[in-house]
Amino acid sequence: MSSTYVKEIGAAEFEQEVLAAAEPVVLDFFSTECPPCEALAPKFDAVAEQFAGKARFLKVFRQGNRELATRLGVTGSPTLLFFKAGREVAARMTGEDIKRTALKAAVEGMLT
Amino acid sequence: MSERYDVAVIGAGPAGLAAAIYAARARLRTLVLDESIPGGQVKTTHKVSNYPGFPEDVKGADLAAAFAAQAERFGAKIRRSVEITKHDLAATPKTLELDEEETVEARAVIVATGAKPRPLGVPGEDLFKGRGISYCATCDGAYFEDKDIHVIGGGNSAVEESLFLTQFARSVTVVHQFMELQAEPASVQEALANPKIHFLLGHEPRGFQGEAALERLEVEELATKERKQLRTDGVFVFIGMIPRTDLLRPYLPLAQGGYVETTDAMETKVPGLYAAGDIRVKRFRQITTAVADGTIAALAAQKYLH
Repeated sequence: MSSTYVKEIGAAEFEQEVLAAAEPVVLDFFSTECPPCEALAPKFDAVAEQFAGKARFLKVFRQGNRELATRLGVTGSPTLLFFKAGREVAARMTGEDIKRTALKAAVEGMLT
Repeated sequence: MSERYDVAVIGAGPAGLAAAIYAARARLRTLVLDESIPGGQVKTTHKVSNYPGFPEDVKGADLAAAFAAQAERFGAKIRRSVEITKHDLAATPKTLELDEEETVEARAVIVATGAKPRPLGVPGEDLFKGRGISYCATCDGAYFEDKDIHVIGGGNSAVEESLFLTQFARSVTVVHQFMELQAEPASVQEALANPKIHFLLGHEPRGFQGEAALERLEVEELATKERKQLRTDGVFVFIGMIPRTDLLRPYLPLAQGGYVETTDAMETKVPGLYAAGDIRVKRFRQITTAVADGTIAALAAQKYLH
């Protein structure tokens, strides 16, 4: 489900929404029955709000987009990928221990 | 003006939530903070069979939610997905800055931050984390439908999560350094009887390799020192936990392995600062023992505050 600052996309929109985006993109692969995904969601929303207009925050539901996950080599939820000008530009973040401050720092890194 | 509490509990696992239940029922203003959602390690345990009161197995996520609901029913406030960005736990009152945005005060603090999965520390592990290597079967098991995967470890978590993973994977090979499994006999028997589970005993992981995602696990047979390359679609690591005690480092000398020494009333050397659950120096770390620690810490804090 999309929220005010985070848009949910499907594999068909990956090319346009992520690779061709003018702004840096943070993409969150999430699953259901995934407590760490539930824990990340409010942090992701908060950081998305902070960087509104500067970076795009998207999420993609893994179970509905298996092929895209396989293509990107994503095998865990949540996984955050950082794209700029169509390329991954920062280390992925994955699992239970994604801190809001670390996510914020990574986005700041993409904006410089 | 910062919000004031009698007790702040850091960590919403079994220890922290048991402490919150007792503190809230003692009519102490109780705040529970967690970087994740409540439940600690229990929330990602697929089933719990040894927690008293549940004659049938209980899903870890359900048990975690029940602990949290019970604490909230008595008035404890649980803050989810919140990060402590500054703290002074030696001051009176103790202060905690949350998400760089607000500060809360508490007269007593119970630290129950638990433990996180121990990494293997072999080459390629960081690179393939989330690209084939996982530490959470409930979170990532579904990624490995009809795949051939490996589980590293031979304790309760390794064996029980292997059983869970057979719901998805075509085969699960348990790689363990010793020639015998350390898990409870009840789980071991179930695993031995499962046709999808295979065992590679007396072997240790030495490295991970692949292109975009993990493709091979390198192991060493300890008796012969022979190295072997195993084709794999995924590796789940369950080789124990390391305590999350960074928060306490400025206030207390930590014991070997990063654990915290307390009295049998869960007191640390800092007045009004308690530690409970898996972060403590102790011999056994179970849900039941965490709950006991939390109970004691809350009762001790109650005495301290009155």
